Amino acid sequence: MSTSVRRTELPLTVRTPTHEPLNRRRRSTPGRAPATKLFLILPSVVILILTNAYPIAYAAFQALHNGSLISPGEFVGVDNFAKVLADPAFWRAAGFTAVFAVAGVFGSWIIGIAIALLLRTRIPAKGLLKTILLLPWVVPIVVSAMSWNWLIGTSSSPVPTIFHALGFGDAIFLSDPLGAQITVCLFEIWVNFPFMMLMMSAALSSVDESIYEAAKIDGAGAWQQFRYMTLPIIAKPTYISWVLMAIFCVNDFPTVYLLTHGGPVGATNTLVVLAYKTVFQNFQTGPGVAIAFLMTLALAIVAVLLFRQIRKSTSQ
Amino acid sequence: MKNILPPTAMSRRGFLALTGAVSLTASISACAAGGAGNASAGGGGTIKFWDMPWGNQDYLGAAQGLTQAYKPGDGLPGASYQQVNWDGFNQTFSSAIASNTGPAVSTGGGFQAFQFAKQGAIAYADNLIDSFKKDGTYDDFLPHTLDAMKTSDGYVGIPWNLDVQVLWYRKSILDQIGATPPQSWDDVLDVAKKASAKGYVGFGISGGSGNYGPMAVLSLMINNGGGLFNSNGDLDIVNDRNAEAVDFLTELVKQGLVDPGSVSMKDDDLTTLWTNKKVALGFQSPAFNNVVGDEKDVLVTDPLKSHRGEVGGLYYVNNIMMYKNTPSQAGSEAFTSYYIKNMKTLWQKGVMQGLPALKSITEIPEFKANAQNTAVVEKWQPICKTTAAQSSALTAKLATIDGGQAMTDFCQTVLAGKTPSKTILTKLESDIKAAIS
Repeated sequence: MSTSVRRTELPLTVRTPTHEPLNRRRRSTPGRAPATKLFLILPSVVILILTNAYPIAYAAFQALHNGSLISPGEFVGVDNFAKVLADPAFWRAAGFTAVFAVAGVFGSWIIGIAIALLLRTRIPAKGLLKTILLLPWVVPIVVSAMSWNWLIGTSSSPVPTIFHALGFGDAIFLSDPLGAQITVCLFEIWVNFPFMMLMMSAALSSVDESIYEAAKIDGAGAWQQFRYMTLPIIAKPTYISWVLMAIFCVNDFPTVYLLTHGGPVGATNTLVVLAYKTVFQNFQTGPGVAIAFLMTLALAIVAVLLFRQIRKSTSQ
Repeated sequence: MKNILPPTAMSRRGFLALTGAVSLTASISACAAGGAGNASAGGGGTIKFWDMPWGNQDYLGAAQGLTQAYKPGDGLPGASYQQVNWDGFNQTFSSAIASNTGPAVSTGGGFQAFQFAKQGAIAYADNLIDSFKKDGTYDDFLPHTLDAMKTSDGYVGIPWNLDVQVLWYRKSILDQIGATPPQSWDDVLDVAKKASAKGYVGFGISGGSGNYGPMAVLSLMINNGGGLFNSNGDLDIVNDRNAEAVDFLTELVKQGLVDPGSVSMKDDDLTTLWTNKKVALGFQSPAFNNVVGDEKDVLVTDPLKSHRGEVGGLYYVNNIMMYKNTPSQAGSEAFTSYYIKNMKTLWQKGVMQGLPALKSITEIPEFKANAQNTAVVEKWQPICKTTAAQSSALTAKLATIDGGQAMTDFCQTVLAGKTPSKTILTKLESDIKAAIS
């Protein structure tokens, strides 16, 4: 359940412009026979099949069987899916996954765009500030999670100690279901806002400053400039960053697992954590993989909806 | 207003393909096994021995040295050593065995051998047991330990150490509060109250990651004559004995005698609290005083009497298991036999936390040097039962229960101190049924 994609999929907004409709297919490159092109892409296709298609096909096989990781078991059709859908733990995890993703996407976006706007102004030590702000995203998640655990994990951790000294009683955030959920969401926002900051900085850098001067002459205030000029201009990269962040959040295993293991009492189980536990703690491979497939289906639907929004903003 | 940014070069289908690839690869592939293959046994002709961290910081070197000292007989392969962390060990073993890159011999979770035997990956140890009968080693095993490995198909493993959950206390804290070591649940309440009044954690328990919290709760249930199963091996969780044990723990929670962060506390954090001399009482494994580096101040109590006047406790028969995926079954048996017969060195070096499964090792001076070891062997081990209590039959389903999500949720709910005991136990029974169905 890798998260390496975070570091590799940034430059969607700075690709070479094509100015062609999104649903239009590219034409064949002149001078290359189809057979040659097929030959050239064959190695990539083979690698893709070996690394992606086979595991997915085998996972589908497992989702339809009642076996384990070691033995395939018997064919049970869609029983595993029915079992998962009838399990309240699945719906609790689905609910928290939705909350976690929404909080992760919009929380990190709000902070990210606010900082990106701030960084467009004249402030001292801007380069140093940018570097510091990137740290939560650059530091390995294991280190971040350990740091947060040290800060809030036990009653003698610094943050609960301070809360206690201020008269708030025992503030053991991870011991309380709601406290743990809020903490996990805050951690996700903290880890991901630098990504949003970078995306929004890139988007804002292509906005012509002169339009703001014109707007000022027309009497537009700061909020009006942001609401009616900046936001529409950066709408498309914003939607793309939301889609990417939604994928990151829904697939984010280490953030939750390292901080709470899905507890207390399953309160912070996301679907991906529940899938892991089902496979590797309850040894129920079929239902676990079924959860992963259902999660992917939901994610694809969200991606399609957001992508429609992107098309809409492009056509305007 | 017109968008002045260039449109993306990514098509809708391309984008969906990306979405699909990212999500599927990240989530599904991680859960999917590599499939059944016929790759040769790992190790390239050597017996791959995978071992868990069973002791203090010097354990790795000692166990590695013991493995490297193995001299195979004619025609038999040598052995290599690899340590596996407890964190995620189920995933490590399951994935490796599924992809035929697993060990030929390993230690592991107490019920791991049963789990993998059910899945057809274990090489039964009956030949080895027969050889132990011939050379006298068989009689050296502590009572009932070998029986605990026996199934209708054969012996799934060889016992080598025992993890007995015993109640420890810090003598200096009890001296300070004018208390004597508790002998009953009422005493525990009394001592914990006095210790808490002085700012200590009266009863240390960790419900977060790790398994010590659930083990402590189960210990108290067995202490009161309860447990997860009845004598027929059927689930029997919602009963008065278990409810009394849960009520007792709830009382500790409600009176503020456990750490307020116990619900999410990790085992390592609890050990740190013990090391920092903040905890008065708590269930832990043998030689825990070595772990916290305080042999003279951290001591073992006598077995507790429950409200019903019963005694009892929880123990695990940790075993060495052999796998079918081996370059040589004779080689696996030869190495396992060597390891069992020479493992005494681990206790001589003082690196082990568990009790030895061989009586002869409990007699060596180095083992007896820690007086608490003797107390555990003489007072606790004889009255302890396995996770299968009140049944004696160990099965693969115990691997799902031990360290599984149902027990973790159960322990965390108890430590939250807000739910009636019968409600908690009903939920546990339901969760375990779902997990082992």
